Amino acid sequence: MIQKIQSLWPEIVLFATACVVMVVGISPSVAVRRSCGVIAGLGLALAGLVAIDWPGPASSVVWPALAPYVKVLVAGVGVLLLLVLAGLPDREYEAAVAHGQRYDPIRANRAEFYAFFLFSIMGVMLVSGAEDLIWLFLALELTSLPTYIMVAISSSRNRSLEAGVKYFFLGALGAALFLYGFALLYGATGSTNLETIRQVIAQQRLGSEAVNGVALAGALLAVIGVGFKIAAVPMHFYTADVYQGAASPVTAFLAFVPKTAGFVALILLLTTIGWGYGPSGQSLPEPIRTVLWVIAAMTMTVGNVLAVVQSSVKRVLAYSSIAHSGYMLVGLVAGPGPAGAPFARNGIAAILFYLLCYGVMNLGAFAVMASLERRSRSGATEEADSIDDLRGLCTTRPMLGWIMVVSAVGLLGMPPLLGFFGKLPLFTSGIGAGEIPLVVVLGINSAIAAYYYLRLAALALLEDPDVTPVGGGLSENAPPGRKFAGFICAAAVIGLSALAWPLINLADGAAKYEPRLTPGSAVSAREAPIVPSADALTEPRAASGRP
Amino acid sequence: MDLSSYLPILLLITMAVVFAVANISLTLALGPSRQGPVKGTTYESGMDPFGTARKRFNVRFYLIAMVFLVFDIEIIFLYPWAVAFPNLQAGTTESWVWLGRILFFLLTTVVAYVYGYRKGVFRFD
Repeated sequence: MIQKIQSLWPEIVLFATACVVMVVGISPSVAVRRSCGVIAGLGLALAGLVAIDWPGPASSVVWPALAPYVKVLVAGVGVLLLLVLAGLPDREYEAAVAHGQRYDPIRANRAEFYAFFLFSIMGVMLVSGAEDLIWLFLALELTSLPTYIMVAISSSRNRSLEAGVKYFFLGALGAALFLYGFALLYGATGSTNLETIRQVIAQQRLGSEAVNGVALAGALLAVIGVGFKIAAVPMHFYTADVYQGAASPVTAFLAFVPKTAGFVALILLLTTIGWGYGPSGQSLPEPIRTVLWVIAAMTMTVGNVLAVVQSSVKRVLAYSSIAHSGYMLVGLVAGPGPAGAPFARNGIAAILFYLLCYGVMNLGAFAVMASLERRSRSGATEEADSIDDLRGLCTTRPMLGWIMVVSAVGLLGMPPLLGFFGKLPLFTSGIGAGEIPLVVVLGINSAIAAYYYLRLAALALLEDPDVTPVGGGLSENAPPGRKFAGFICAAAVIGLSALAWPLINLADGAAKYEPRLTPGSAVSAREAPIVPSADALTEPRAASGRP
Repeated sequence: MDLSSYLPILLLITMAVVFAVANISLTLALGPSRQGPVKGTTYESGMDPFGTARKRFNVRFYLIAMVFLVFDIEIIFLYPWAVAFPNLQAGTTESWVWLGRILFFLLTTVVAYVYGYRKGVFRFD
């Protein structure tokens, strides 16, 4: 137990920072209140450094280096996210206070906003270190629950509230689904410990050559439920409305943080079943493989086809985020390959690397949208959202325009940019696993995606600026942090492709697959005997071997 | 598949259904049926209801309830900790770690309290 706590230092740092932020953020003094964003950023950076420096004991036996990689990844992208988010909470309220209104802490929500941001990132870190189903469930919920509130309080528009409520109810549905899946997994194996579940399933398989039906049903329910977090079909319906309803910086957060948590959770869950089936002995059991295959193909296609017809940039990016989840699911279908497989074959490494690429590229696009606002007909300012707002952006605001161009072309996967190096391993791992039809679907989808990404880029780069805008034209009042974060992201999309190889090595190291079946050791240590499925169904207590 | 262990649950469900149906049908069959204005009021022999039930409550009631939850959770964790703590050898590393944990936990509840205080939960004006 004490060893486990030692691997949690990044989370402890984040938790302590969140506690400080919660008190500092409602201070009566403006200067103190303003500092809480900086404190949150420092805490996050410190957590990232601790995660680098603190290898700790391996949390997952099968993925010894997964947790540190994910922790550093979310802390790093989290700092950029924080730059984009800074200045968003309480913007209107603070302006009113500056005009002489009395400051009333109960009407402000800056403190909660930053604290929830930190809690959510802490949730992802806890997911990556999960070794138990209950831990995994709590960590996934810790990732999601703050995001519901962040969506609702991200702006004072009614649409944000609506988006928050929608997101919450569908999130609860997803949680119920995967919790039921977890219950079935426990019923089938008699343990909530992921490693024990893996060993028991492997042992059961030695006897009968087929996977326990209850465990399969549990894993399927869990996959579909966690699919909510990654916005995979059939749990994708909330995405467009929620992404559009939330303020752009929060949307950028939603597109990265819950998605990372979802993919890490899927990796950990499917590890319990293992990629050791099929004719090659390197794929998932047939029912799960088929379901994941269909989900991957549908997710990509639905996301890309619906993105083509949108006229709102945030909706385009929302559907594109669905499509990217579909791309990454290909890596999950391909699996890690045999032990010691090269990077090109390791689908899990491809996912981990793609999460980094996607996070950076997507954040660049959202940073541009978050920096722009438009005066509506009624005279109020609102977020720039229409695709026409991008028209001629490279002429009027060269910096934002070019960030948009680089991000869009990067998301498309154009060769010299980061997106290409991210997508390449997904292709090669799919081919290596023999999933040729799925790879063809992936290729076709990349072509469909070219249409709307190039439209985003071309509008900014090639078109003339709109001289007679509908409302009062664009303005740029956002805090400078957003532009800066966007600049860093665009620079990373170009610059990191030169560093792609070391980063790929990092991801590859994080996805080192060591599935060992230790006959008797893990299982007998926990006194979980091998049980046939019927017994496990009716008498879970007997299966765990405890009186 | 052997489902015999589910038999008690089946019995329980049957009993629940039979009990409910029997009570309703017995009341309908045996009970006298008298109607009237007094019979139709909300509390037949209690107070006269007034106003509407859809009143808006002050949000502070909920805030107080949440602050109460903080202390509630605190005692839930403190109690088993206090029961287990004397069993540890005094002065060992383990005992200090245990003490440190509960102090950290107490600190977080203090933060919640300070947060509630600053938010004005205890201010009734």
